[in-house]
Amino acid sequence: MAHIPDGILSAPVLVGGAVLAAGGVALGLRRLDDRMIPRAAILSAAFFAGSLIAVPVGPASVHLLLAGLMGIMLGPAAVLGVLVALLLQALLFGFGGLTTLGVNTVNIALPGVVMGMALGPAIRTTARAPVRMALAAAVGALSVLGTGALVALSLRLSSADYAPVASVVIATYLPLALGEAVITAAVVGFLARVQPDALAPALP
Amino acid sequence: MIRMLLALLLVLGLAVPAQAHKLKLFASVEGAGVKGYAFFVGGGRAQDSPFVATDAAGTEIARGRTDADGRFAFQVPGVAATGVTVTVDTQEGHMASVTLAADRFGSAATTTSAASAGPVSRPAQDREVGALVEAAVQRQIEPLLERIEQMDSRLRLTDALSGVFLIFGLAGMALWARGRRA
Repeated sequence: MAHIPDGILSAPVLVGGAVLAAGGVALGLRRLDDRMIPRAAILSAAFFAGSLIAVPVGPASVHLLLAGLMGIMLGPAAVLGVLVALLLQALLFGFGGLTTLGVNTVNIALPGVVMGMALGPAIRTTARAPVRMALAAAVGALSVLGTGALVALSLRLSSADYAPVASVVIATYLPLALGEAVITAAVVGFLARVQPDALAPALP
Repeated sequence: MIRMLLALLLVLGLAVPAQAHKLKLFASVEGAGVKGYAFFVGGGRAQDSPFVATDAAGTEIARGRTDADGRFAFQVPGVAATGVTVTVDTQEGHMASVTLAADRFGSAATTTSAASAGPVSRPAQDREVGALVEAAVQRQIEPLLERIEQMDSRLRLTDALSGVFLIFGLAGMALWARGRRA
């Protein structure tokens, strides 16, 4: 799904993805401080382990991405976490590939970072728990749908032969979006209760 | 927060060996045909997904859809002199292909020629026996091939754990480097 293997995408898409990912890494590295490093590592490890667990859905199988949660908690540094986890998955298990590392990183991290930065401030400032959980659920679901759209776009731009069929993509990504919404809302709701600071990428 | 995330990590880590994520194909030659199935590493089959079979030159031999168990089967017309490549595309970003080398089709050549030859002549009988032996051997080793393919693609807990701890190690190195600079 989100791990596009080697040998499918065309060179312009691969280069474009790598350039975008490099930009994201540069942005993320600048935010990296003593507080961010352990948080990024833990979320990266959670993503690494979480996306190894695949659940058969419809004709394919899906796995958690946690990109929305990473976007809320890490901001642009989420790109680093995703990159490291994807690199290890490619090296250890052959999921995805080394040439597609940039594209896959962008596909997974970008929607999470954008949604996290768009709705993050509202999530952190709102005093009402139901509103916060609803916003977090929206971030989780929309990040997954964004990833689905980007994966479809990467395949489509590479070759019309590989263009994903919209009905299949929706059938597989919709349940995942719902699952991510529930998990993101639960984690954010819990953190807001016990440690609200954890939700902020950087302390003021 | 750290403690809670660690707990989440532990739960995920315990579930890891059961499941994974990658499309793979298993295919074997049977008589004059090819059959096999598409599966996700760790569980699940690619159901109702289109497959295409081509020879080495890229000429299409067969196409169709996998069934509810992710299985596909097709006949190879004539002798597959160049080998056959099967590609399954789940149409949502997963794709895998497997190539059966030309020498795997030795039995197919024998079977077809044996079927067309008259039963009386001695060489024809030999060919028939040869084809039967080929079929029997194929039947016996198929579970082994299947098992090897599965073991090859199994996720190992040690690999998953080493990945997680590599990430923690990287974080430690980054913190150390920052500490030295400060």
